[in-house]
Amino acid sequence: MKRVAITGLGVVSPLGNDPLHFFAALTVGRSAVRRLDGRFHERLVSGIGAPAAFDAAAHFPAPKVRMLDRVSQFALAAATQALADASGVFDGLDRRRAGVFVGTGMGGAETTDEGYYTLYAENSDRVKPFSVLLAMNNAPAAWIGLEHALEGPNLTFSTACSSSAVAIGEAARRIAAGEVDAMIAGGAEAPLNFGTLKAWDALRTLATEDPADPSASCKPFAKNRSGLVLGEGAAMVVLEDFERAKRRGARIHALIAGYGLTTDAAHITRPSIVGQASAMRRALEDAGLAPEAIGHINAHGTGTQANDGVETAAIKEVYGAHAYRIAVSSTKSMHGHLLGAAGALELVAAVLAMERQVVPPTAHLRQPDPECDLDYVAEGARPMPGLAAVASNSFAFGGTNAVLIACTPASR
Amino acid sequence: MSTLERLQALLERDFQLAPPALVAEATLESLDIDSLRMIEILFSIEDEFKIAIPAEQAQIRERVKTLGDLAGYIDELISGPEREPA
Repeated sequence: MKRVAITGLGVVSPLGNDPLHFFAALTVGRSAVRRLDGRFHERLVSGIGAPAAFDAAAHFPAPKVRMLDRVSQFALAAATQALADASGVFDGLDRRRAGVFVGTGMGGAETTDEGYYTLYAENSDRVKPFSVLLAMNNAPAAWIGLEHALEGPNLTFSTACSSSAVAIGEAARRIAAGEVDAMIAGGAEAPLNFGTLKAWDALRTLATEDPADPSASCKPFAKNRSGLVLGEGAAMVVLEDFERAKRRGARIHALIAGYGLTTDAAHITRPSIVGQASAMRRALEDAGLAPEAIGHINAHGTGTQANDGVETAAIKEVYGAHAYRIAVSSTKSMHGHLLGAAGALELVAAVLAMERQVVPPTAHLRQPDPECDLDYVAEGARPMPGLAAVASNSFAFGGTNAVLIACTPASR
Repeated sequence: MSTLERLQALLERDFQLAPPALVAEATLESLDIDSLRMIEILFSIEDEFKIAIPAEQAQIRERVKTLGDLAGYIDELISGPEREPA
């Protein structure tokens, strides 16, 4: 099996629209969560979210913008950054040996929402002519492939909140197997439209607004956690055959060392210790690493009662006594839950933590929960010299658990 | 403002087509108006001229080759739908 290098990173996020700004905000513990003020948002029970400050007109000409749902705009912008970062990745490459894997939970939900508004609220039949092309779930991946003339596999994964971790893991597999030489992989999500927000509202899984500080509403692993906060954006990585990356002198951010994929097959929403633990164990086996090698986990850490307790128990089951020595961060406390883009964004956070040797904190964790007794880096970002292997956990409604492990190039 | 002028203004404003190219004799091909772009243009024309374009695109393409043709077609729709023989 070939080793897989990460040679490019791209981010559109509530905390900034490139990896630098994103990680800088994480390390100072800045939260992008705020009260939403869009159309109808006053009707939300939980009216908070983590929007991305993204100006489509600054990225695309007007006729192109009309062909791109917000989710595809995010995806394209993040992919462009990742490719610039991986400068020259496609030089001399057979384009049939390069492809795009994208994860998204809800695809072009904003277009669907607007279409329904036109039909049912305005009582008009003037649905936008490109609604199908904007709303289809594979639009983000398709546009990236089109824009960069990538003729290899172009797939969209939809496993709810683990979608983009799956996309990256599956892309790494293709490279490891020698089927392709380079892939753009990641996720994109744009769920902050009224219809989608209201659907989440109805599920009673969103956080209650913190009365003193709305930006502190998402409190993963805290006793007073009340649910998740939705965020939007995209994260893309360029994955490449490690030997090829080395030959061309590319800067290698990290290696994808392991990927674990399991399914709970137990309940449509309730998380399972067994399922999560088996995904973590598989990722370690795939990486050929002992549990003690992992220094930092970017947790799924949604801030729901159900997830955070189960995830803590699953980490303890897999890592044993070492679990208490791992710096476990939930960066969702700051950027919110990007659903289908969450796994990719959080892998990028974990890779940057390893590159900078600083792990971001879990923000807003002031009331410890006896059930959640690991080291969640609650006090603020922590220097971790020598950090050489990190994991990113992604779990999902539907029960698909995906865990990615990344390590420094020097450690392999 | 003539129909052609309104059409030219619409194509410049919404589709970023350069005014010097938007002459009556310009063919849709020369303006890079493919079938997908045409769908959007027809939608905009319906809004701009408050008309309904019932014909299928293939039928329209059959008789509308240039911008001038398109303006003429719009004029016909404004003055009343053609009566197809029963």
